[in-house]
Amino acid sequence: MPLESQTATARVHDPDHDELRRLEAGLDSLQAVPETARGAFRRTVDGVLPPILLLIALVAAWQIYIVIAKPRPDLIPGPFDVFGALASAWSSERLQLAVATSLERGGLGFLIAVAIGTPIGLLLAECRPVRRAVGPLLSGLQVLPSVAWVPAAIIWFGLTDATVYFVILMGAVPSIANGLVSGVDQIPPQLRRVGTVLGASRFEMATLVVLPAALPGYFSGLKQGWAFAWRSLMAAEIITTGGTIGFGLGTMLNQSRELADLAGVLATILVILFVGILVELVIFAPIERRLLRRRGLMAAGLR
Amino acid sequence: MTSPARTSVVTAPVQTSETPVAGEEAAATDSGPVAITIDGLGKRYGTGPLVLEDINLSIEAGQFVCLLGASGCGKSTLLNIIAGLEKPTEGAVTVASGKAAVMFQDAALFPWLTAGRNVELALKLRGVPRKERRREALELLDLVNLADAAEKRPHELSGGMRQRVALARSLAQDRKVLLMDEPFAALDAITRDLLHEELERVWRQTGRTIVFVTHNVREAARLGQRILLMSSRPGRIVNEWTITDTGSRRIESPEVARLGDEITDQLRKEIRRNAA
Repeated sequence: MPLESQTATARVHDPDHDELRRLEAGLDSLQAVPETARGAFRRTVDGVLPPILLLIALVAAWQIYIVIAKPRPDLIPGPFDVFGALASAWSSERLQLAVATSLERGGLGFLIAVAIGTPIGLLLAECRPVRRAVGPLLSGLQVLPSVAWVPAAIIWFGLTDATVYFVILMGAVPSIANGLVSGVDQIPPQLRRVGTVLGASRFEMATLVVLPAALPGYFSGLKQGWAFAWRSLMAAEIITTGGTIGFGLGTMLNQSRELADLAGVLATILVILFVGILVELVIFAPIERRLLRRRGLMAAGLR
Repeated sequence: MTSPARTSVVTAPVQTSETPVAGEEAAATDSGPVAITIDGLGKRYGTGPLVLEDINLSIEAGQFVCLLGASGCGKSTLLNIIAGLEKPTEGAVTVASGKAAVMFQDAALFPWLTAGRNVELALKLRGVPRKERRREALELLDLVNLADAAEKRPHELSGGMRQRVALARSLAQDRKVLLMDEPFAALDAITRDLLHEELERVWRQTGRTIVFVTHNVREAARLGQRILLMSSRPGRIVNEWTITDTGSRRIESPEVARLGDEITDQLRKEIRRNAA
């Protein structure tokens, strides 16, 4: 049935049809849920203000404790000692170097993990026999702390960057693959049926239906993969020092420990924490919010 | 039960002051060729009991057929077999025009695409060139009065609007046969009533053959040109009514009520048979 003829008849003026149109339009506007989007400024203020207030309160409580209890500064340094350590690390440019090195390794390692984990996840999700064979192993690897691989990696690769990347991959790949698998598992079967009914080939089904439908699950797998990559990286950097391995945040942490510089240790821990929070806030959270909001998966309060 | 008793109840033609011309056109397409042939169809899952038994049916092109039965009588299974989503255990189904378009109870729109893109995807899978998709999708959405909602995402639409997008998407497949599996069952009565009107209009305008599965007797009496009543366990077609009505009828009209009462009596008799 050619479409032109359909629309040609549609344009014939028919009072009953107009009546129906108005009725439907009225019902639509009664039933549709209006999206009450808040402004970007408001959203930023609502999102940023509470954690900053909490941070200020925590630092204030810490300082009050130092003033009142007067603990030994080499056991419990005050906020000013820690900020001092941070400032001196900054001025000697050790901080910048450490953050840059660690972020570069973490980011690159994460990207490699995505490139490896995604096809593995797809294969596992779509191929039953492979899943039965490899699934338990992958779940096991996800539970195994990837630090456990450090000694083996040192023996295999020596004190090189390869050791660090190996440990990152062992931490992140299982999370990413498992995230994709659970994302695919959670696709409502109805959507695949629609794909079949619409005549999608295997390839079209995978690219146009399965992958986009699995995106929320895949994305939370990516987030977890990043967390594992960052943790594994820190562990690897703390344990493996020397050789051709560069100066990362973990190395800096370990150096401060050797110097019994508790203020330096705490300062580095804070930096590691903040890098993690920053990556979450700047990269993952906006993508995730957009992803969920577009699909109507976000609770009204979180918009 | 040996052979299904087939009575044909012909209701008096409703005087249609509304659209007599459209009605005659639809009546003219009735006598067309056969669109769906079902021959000795049987279905069982594994070694379980028979779900469908000895279904023989021939549906004319352009006909609006309602398949009516209690929950679990196998009417959705029958529809899935016609759609090619399930294989029959015995017998054969032939859809003259090839494959059929299907619409489900749940609109099952892709939540990551806008209403317009959902329709466009169906066009894309049909092989319509990229340049024409946008325009055709808008035309189809306009056919279900949703041209303004093309940029909206499924979660922003009401249930009735989603079903209309799903209808537009099924029409985008451009197949002569449209199979509908309780498409309005989850909607409120007001919306359902409007969608009946909408569907009837689209059917008259596009000349599709529609097989409409429902457990709602009034809905069947409101929409169908031909109503098939199915028994349960095993599912068979036990009775059918043909309505030689040229125009549209309202769900509140006495004709629909009378036919509905008659069908309900039969349906209850079928259900009572399962009590023992």
